[in-house]
Amino acid sequence: MADDSKMQIMRQVQQEAAMQNARMLVEKLNEHCFERCVPKPGTSLSSGEEGCFKSCMEKYMSAWNTVSKQYVARIQRESASGGLSL
Amino acid sequence: MDGLGGGLANVDVTRLSDADKQQLQQFAINEGQKARIQSSIHSLTDTCFRKCIPAGTIKNGKLDKYEEPCMRQCVDRFLDANIVVLRELERLRQ
Repeated sequence: MADDSKMQIMRQVQQEAAMQNARMLVEKLNEHCFERCVPKPGTSLSSGEEGCFKSCMEKYMSAWNTVSKQYVARIQRESASGGLSL
Repeated sequence: MDGLGGGLANVDVTRLSDADKQQLQQFAINEGQKARIQSSIHSLTDTCFRKCIPAGTIKNGKLDKYEEPCMRQCVDRFLDANIVVLRELERLRQ
């Protein structure tokens, strides 16, 4: 019973964290891609704008993955060498 | 955030054993650290995307051979710069 509530809390916290992370990614992605792909908003989203948005989304997510790998590798290197904690 | 309270309404933390409480405390510390790292990754992606991906319409979804190394270098140089700031502040403090 006690173990069950502990697991429940942990699961809930992890779900919230994952949700927050996804929300942040969507927000940033939208911000960047709207800026680039829709410089002058028209009466509807053109097919060109939509195509740009799809490429931009993919590119932003690749960029996010690259940053994530590089940053985590760097933290691990820094903490292994006992350097400044970032 | 109301999902958190809602889903855990039937959990009574006072009934947890000391070992469980301690484990949860450590879990919270770890999760907090993970959240800070995630937040840095978002902010770094934001900054470096601006610098590395040229302005204007995007035609290809893949990072090209210039953009990918630029993103990686951007992360490392940002952190180098951060260390310079910390060292300089440390020096001024003395």
